[in-house]
Formats: sequence, C-alpha cells, structure tokens
Amino acid sequence: MKQLKLLAAVSILLAGALTRPIALNAQPAKKSLSLTVGYFNDNNALQYVKAIVKTKVQGRFKPVANIGLCFYITADSPAYLLGRARTDEKGEAVVFIPPTAQAEWKRSIRQSFVVVSEGADSFDAAKGNVDITKARLRLDTVAGRSVTASVEEQTGSGWRPVKGVEVKIAVQRLNGGLNIGDAAAYTTDSTGTTSAAFKLDSTLPGDHAGNIVLVASVQDNDSYGNLSAKRTVPWGIATNYVSGFDRRSLFARRGRSPLWLEWMAYSIIVVVWGTLFYLFAQIGKLRRLGSRTTSV
Amino acid sequence: METSDKQQIIRDLLPQRFGRKGKIWVGILLVVFITGVICYLRQLSQGLVVTAMRDYASWGIYISNFVFFVAISLVGSLITAVLRLTGVHWSTPLTRIAEIIAVAAITFAALIIIVDMGRPERFYQLFVHGRLQSPIIWDVLVITTYFFISLLLLYFPLLPDIPILMRFAKGVHNRRHKLYSFLGRFWTNSPAQEKIAARSIAILSVTIIPVAFAIHTVTSWLFATTYRPGWDSTNFGAYFISGAFLVGAGAVLVAMYVFRRAYHLEKYITELHFDRMGQVTVMLALLYMYFNINEFLVPAFKMQKAEQAHLMGLFTGEFALPFWFAILTAMVIPILILVFRVGRRPGPAMVAGCLVVVGSWFKRYLIVTPTLLHPFLPMHDVPADYLHYFPTWDEWAIAMGSLAGVLLIITFFAWIFPILPIQETLSSIEEHETT
Repeated sequence: MKQLKLLAAVSILLAGALTRPIALNAQPAKKSLSLTVGYFNDNNALQYVKAIVKTKVQGRFKPVANIGLCFYITADSPAYLLGRARTDEKGEAVVFIPPTAQAEWKRSIRQSFVVVSEGADSFDAAKGNVDITKARLRLDTVAGRSVTASVEEQTGSGWRPVKGVEVKIAVQRLNGGLNIGDAAAYTTDSTGTTSAAFKLDSTLPGDHAGNIVLVASVQDNDSYGNLSAKRTVPWGIATNYVSGFDRRSLFARRGRSPLWLEWMAYSIIVVVWGTLFYLFAQIGKLRRLGSRTTSV
Repeated sequence: METSDKQQIIRDLLPQRFGRKGKIWVGILLVVFITGVICYLRQLSQGLVVTAMRDYASWGIYISNFVFFVAISLVGSLITAVLRLTGVHWSTPLTRIAEIIAVAAITFAALIIIVDMGRPERFYQLFVHGRLQSPIIWDVLVITTYFFISLLLLYFPLLPDIPILMRFAKGVHNRRHKLYSFLGRFWTNSPAQEKIAARSIAILSVTIIPVAFAIHTVTSWLFATTYRPGWDSTNFGAYFISGAFLVGAGAVLVAMYVFRRAYHLEKYITELHFDRMGQVTVMLALLYMYFNINEFLVPAFKMQKAEQAHLMGLFTGEFALPFWFAILTAMVIPILILVFRVGRRPGPAMVAGCLVVVGSWFKRYLIVTPTLLHPFLPMHDVPADYLHYFPTWDEWAIAMGSLAGVLLIITFFAWIFPILPIQETLSSIEEHETT
C-alpha cells in the first residue's frame, strides 16, 4: 500500500513537471464572438446597418468594445464594401448605406448585408448577416385623434401592402415611447393598414407649441428588419421649460450660491481676515517702535 | 532674582545642540520623510493607481492622516486660548510646545490633501473652480486661516526671547543670528511694545477658538454632509471636536515628556504640569467616550439594514480588531492610567499620551474607510478587490513620511528656538518671588 502511495505521488509530481513547460508555452485561448446584424430604415429616408458584438464572460453575454468590423452589401467581397466601423462601449457599430452603394442597393428588392469582424488578439473572427426585403412604413392621422400606420413592401414596379405585420405606435418620450392605446402592438390588415385611437391624457406635455411626436415602428421583423416613421401632431399641451440651472441654490453651479450663504461666508472671512491683517499691521507697528527706540 | 540665577535659567532654556540620540532621531525621521517623498514622486508619475484606493474606498490612509493632523492641531487652541482665557496659568510653559505641534500638524494636513488629490494642480483648480456651497472650500479656507493664526500665536510670544537668542548666537551661530535678527531685532522690551504684543495675543486667543471649532466642524461635515452609513449623523461636529481635543492633549503629554528628558527641563516642566495635563486628558477622554457611545449606540439600537453591515463590520467583523483597539487605547486605558494620581506622573502619563495618539490615528482610519466599503447603492458586478482596502507600500510610505515631516518641523523648531518661553518664565518666577 505504501509503495502504491509513493508511486502515485511520484507520478503526480512527474506529470506536474512535464505539463508545466507545456502550460507555460501555451497561448491563451481566444474567445468566440457573437455578432448580431440588423437593418434599420428610419422615416423611409435613412437606411443603415447596425452590428452588436458580444462575448460570453462567466456565463453571461457582455458587449465587446473596440472590435473592427467590415460591412458589406450582397457578399463579403471588397467590391461590395459599405464601410468599416469599430464597436463602442455598448459593443455597437453602425454604417450608413453610402451613395456609392446606390447601384447595388437598387439592383434588387431583396438585399443581404454581411458583417465580418477584423482580426483581434483575444477573439476569434466572427461573421454575421441579415437578409431583408425593402419595405416602408407610413404614419398618418385621421379625423379626431386616430392614427393609421401602413406597411408596404417593394415590388418590381411599385409598392404592395403587407398583411399581418406587427406595428407599435407610441408617443416619443425621453429614452422611450408611451403607447397611445391599450394594445402593445397593432397588426396590419389586408390593405397593409392598421389604425389605433389616441387614448392618452389630453394634458400630455408637448413642446412649447403643444406638439408631440408620434412614432410607428416595426421591430426585428424577419422580412423587413426595423422600420420606423414619425409624425408631429399638436395633441399635447404647451410646456415652457424654465431652466433652474442659474437659480441660486445649495446645489447650483459655482457663483450661484444662495445669497444668505454668501453673506454669512464673506462676513466671516472679512471679520477673521480683517483681524489677521490688523495683527500683521501690529507687527509693523512693533518694528517702527523698535527702530525709533534704537535710533533714540 | 539674582543675575546668576537668571543666567542659569536662560542657559537651561536656550536651544541646545543635538547629542548622539538627537542626531539618530533626526536621521531616522529624514530617512522616513525622504522615502515618503520618493514614493510620492512615484505616485505623481504613475498616478493614484499605485495606491489601493478604488471606486469604493476612494479615501484611505491619506484622508485618515488628514483628519488626524487636523485633530492634533486643535491642541494649539486648547492650551493657548481656552486655558489662557479661563485663567489657568500652569499651562503657560506649554504654550510654545502646543503651538508648534499645531503649526506642524496643520501644514501637513494641507499637504496630505494635495497628495490625496493625485495631480497637485487640482489644488489650484479648487480655488479657480471651487463652489462656496461645498464643505471642501470651507475646509480650505478655514485651514489656511487656522495656519496663519497658529503662526502668529507662535510668533508674538517668541518676540521677547529674540534679543536673548541674538545675544547668545552672536559670533557663535552666524546664520541663526541672521534669522533671529530678521524675526525680531526690533524688539526692545519697551512698555509700548509689550502692550501691543499682549493685546495681539489676547485677540488671537479669542479669534482662534471659533476658527478651531470651525476647522473641526467643517472637517466633520466633509463626511456628515455625505449620505452614507456611519457618516449620516448630526453628532459629527461635536464628536470630532471632542476627539481632536483628546488627541491634542495626548500629543502634548508625549511632547512634554520628550522635551523634559531631552533638554533636562525637570525644573520647568514639573510633575505638577503632568498632573494637571493628565486631569485634562481624563476629562477629554470621558467626553470623547460620551460622544462615541452616542455615535454607535443609537444607530446600533435601531440597526437599520443599510447601517447594519457597517456597524457589524466594526463590532465583530472585518474591522473589529482595529475598532476595539482604538476604543481601548484612545479612551479606556488612558482613563484607567490617568485617573489615579500615580498614573499622572511623567512616565505613566507619557505612556497614556502615546496610547491616546496611536489609538486616535486608528479611530480616524475607522471613521474614513469602513463607511466607504458599505455604500447605500452598491455597484452592480463590482470587482472583488473593490470590497476591501489595505494600503499599498507607497501609501504607507507617504503616510509615514508625512508623520515624519510633522515631527521634523517640531524637532527643527526645538533646535533653533527655545521650546519653553524664556522671558515669560523669568517674569513668572520674578512675579512668584515678589508675591
């Protein structure tokens, strides 16, 4: 038994000694990247491609910043390059479809976008793509306070209504949207249209003229990607924002402290430093008295 | 008084050359101080990353040292002003010791703040962009004011000694003679000059008390105006002032003993001084203990969830050892020593003073750092090393360097100037003999 234990110990030591140089020479393993690609069409005017790069850290996906990405239309070939971008701290990178890609963009009603990550020391290369059919989303208002949204996809010669697409309709607020009705989303009918009644409070704060911005959006649709349309309507109440930035307060910027604080602080400073200057003057007086006595 | 007696007293009280022990003492202090300076230069080139301070414990032993120095500087106002104005005369020989401790401590309190800021030009930005609403600006203003008042309180009582110093330095120490001459060759002991100096000291004694209270209250408000467990207290101003009086008194006990032994001043710093100073220290320790009970018992009784982690960390957790060490050494043991007459003899009183000073330093550390490790809103996914703080070698070296700097100022002052007022001692002996 003793011999067995000794043998086991020697084996472990030997194995450790042999594997140590291997471990020292081994390169750290590269991590794999997850690359998600999305197509966006804002207000039927601005089309762009967005890529989100993440990697798994301790079982959770976390954004990866500073990853170089190449964006292509149709195929990942230099001839089809839309542009290059680097991910930000949210792991996001965006490339707008440039005028140089106009011929390729118009060539077909269906498009494919490919995004390829450039080489990185710590990560494996990654590739992602999205295929879309060109579509547009339109937003309108009808009598009273009703909103209609219509989705149309491009055909060879024009536009065709699309049935069964989910559209969200909301009022644009800071960092989000406020649904205009009870439903979270509305589905288009055979005419490609859906309508919703504006049920929000009539005292909804708008801009200085009472305008609010309605936003219709199709999100992560398998065929059309992300579409959005905006329309400004005078359905809110006028709100005149008065900035408190320059109001005197304890939390205001420099030079805007409350007057009572300034009075108190400056009075104390004047009294105490006045006393100190008086005492410095007394030293001068002592000097003069001393020199007078010496000269006498 | 006979002229020979006068000459003997003057010889006793004149600054003396350092012996072997004195030179070793200065050498050790210089080594520690220079090490601190070198580490500070390293911090300047590499940034605050050389410290253990991170997003949680953003104040470490630099700020603990700052609060400690501010506290110890209060001794100037205690000995020079409070006791003088209340008609206590036994403390007169101790005024210069107290004032030089105050000046040295407040100088390094200001410097250690600049060290804590990282880049020193931030101190300039504080004046250019500072907000009057911020306690940090009040602290800068009040520290500057206190420094000048303490300096004047050191200077005015020194003037009558200058002619004596000039007489003895003439032809022997030319550089010193020049310095003495620059500082007070105009002093002729004329009644008019004495009147002006006495009035100036009286004005300073009155002025320093509210300024001293302000400096400690404002320093406490740096913490109390911040909404955090352990700092969210209305007790903080009084708690800081009472603690500051205590550590100052402890420092004077130690300084009295050291100067008495080193300069053979047994005739001038007598057992009576230790007895009285010991009584003052007991009273201050009891007062500080009262505020400590208030500070910990009330939140511990309620034990709100946010306060719980902080309080339990102090009572039984990560900081229990330094916490109970500080309570015992800063208050309990000094009280037990000094409450008895035998404990107020020079040796035991000095030990009690040392315990107060060391315990008070730990107390300042416990006020500053544990609170920062228990924020009301913890960070999401905070790195594990943010949750603990232990100073790096550079921080220790800089903090110890600043302590050595304070002691160097006091040591060099005692090398150049009499640590007990000569003229005042002569006058009080003459006054005593005539009565």
